[in-house]
Amino acid sequence: MSLDTTLKKLSVRSPWLFRINAGSCNGCDVELATTACIPRYDVERFGCRYCGSPRHADVVLITGPVTTRVRDRVLRVWEEIPDPKVTVAVGICPISGGVFREGYSIEGPLDRFLPVDVNVPGCPPRPQAILEAVVLARSIWLKKLGFE
Amino acid sequence: MTDTLLAIVHMAIFPGGFFALALGFLYKALDRRVEARLQRRIGPPLTQPWLDAAKLLTKETLIPKTACRSAFLLAPVFGFTGMAVCAAFIPVPGVYSGLFNMGDLLVIFYLLPIPAMALMLGGSASSSPFGALGFSREMLLMLAYETPLLMILLAVAMLVGKGLGAESSGAEFSLLKIVAWQQENGSLGFNPAMIPALLAYLIFLPGTMGMAPFDVAEAETELLEGPLLEYGGPLLALFTVTSAFKTFVVLGLGVALFFPGVLGSWWPVNLVWFVLKCLALMLLSLTLVKSACGRLRIDQAFRFYVTVPTALALCSLVLVWLL
Repeated sequence: MSLDTTLKKLSVRSPWLFRINAGSCNGCDVELATTACIPRYDVERFGCRYCGSPRHADVVLITGPVTTRVRDRVLRVWEEIPDPKVTVAVGICPISGGVFREGYSIEGPLDRFLPVDVNVPGCPPRPQAILEAVVLARSIWLKKLGFE
Repeated sequence: MTDTLLAIVHMAIFPGGFFALALGFLYKALDRRVEARLQRRIGPPLTQPWLDAAKLLTKETLIPKTACRSAFLLAPVFGFTGMAVCAAFIPVPGVYSGLFNMGDLLVIFYLLPIPAMALMLGGSASSSPFGALGFSREMLLMLAYETPLLMILLAVAMLVGKGLGAESSGAEFSLLKIVAWQQENGSLGFNPAMIPALLAYLIFLPGTMGMAPFDVAEAETELLEGPLLEYGGPLLALFTVTSAFKTFVVLGLGVALFFPGVLGSWWPVNLVWFVLKCLALMLLSLTLVKSACGRLRIDQAFRFYVTVPTALALCSLVLVWLL
């Protein structure tokens, strides 16, 4: 096994998370924050870290139904994230629009604009579901790197 | 020839280079782990900094179009080189006595601000407004915490210089002699006149490491990591390695200045003792403070540094001068 392969296989054990709020009501964002911080659902044990800059991110968690005003900003920030990246849609809003579906200012769902790798339905999703999504994102990331 | 070879070994393997990196990464992991335990979480595995570095090496490097390319690429290398050299100057009491025995305290004082300068350079070269804000904050904070550091070093040098008497000319800036003097006459950390300086050094640590409550320059919630915002991939890995070296340097310097005692003369015991002393210093001044505090504003942090630690260090300096 070459050094490059070893590094790539190790790399998925350090997923840094980045949150994008695409017009969310904040419910899912609070859920993401508590999932990270509170003792029972500690994401840091998977090697995760919330990072402030999209340049540092590996797994991007997007909440909210993608409103008209925020759409271009979301796409721009998403573009800034270096490859390989895994996109996770958190909450029912980015998946289908949720309660905001067919609203006059809603451009969603999210997969009209970006390739979504993991969907986490729920309004808001349970912390366990978000944790599972992060673990799932790691295996998708490994696949994207060319390993099964 | 052998001297040069020995210096290279000291910079590449022990105590600089690999040893400093391994220890710095261990401390970084323990810091996160202990913080998690204090918040009743589990926390990341102890190998996490290595995994993070491995991950960053595999990511692509993005350079902003508007950035000053050469400065942007050079800044992390600049910081890394400064700290890698500086780590070789740190004595491990009972095991290794420093790279050379003349004025190395001054060399360390000049090398210590280099990572902060590299951050400032990188931040301003990245052409991001957040980088520029981080630059100004980093500089302000650096001006504030370098003053007490200079006073602490002067107080130690003057005390040891007085103790040595005729052998030295007033102040003693050789770490070798400072460590040797303390091993004979008792650690400075237990000297009543030096307790304010020790406290000032403990306060200096979170500032220079950019940790809460003084992480104003890299504040990830308001400045999106400030100067590091545009860095990613291997360049960011270089910054984390520099930070690990710096952890080793500032903790090792603290041990050498205040608690260089040894246990017997067998070197493995002394090595473990050094590692434990550095760990205690880190847990006390960085981890506990970090998990108990929020972030200060830059004006509050600046005011704090120019008053409290400066006054404490000055107190020690005056006491040493009078006694």
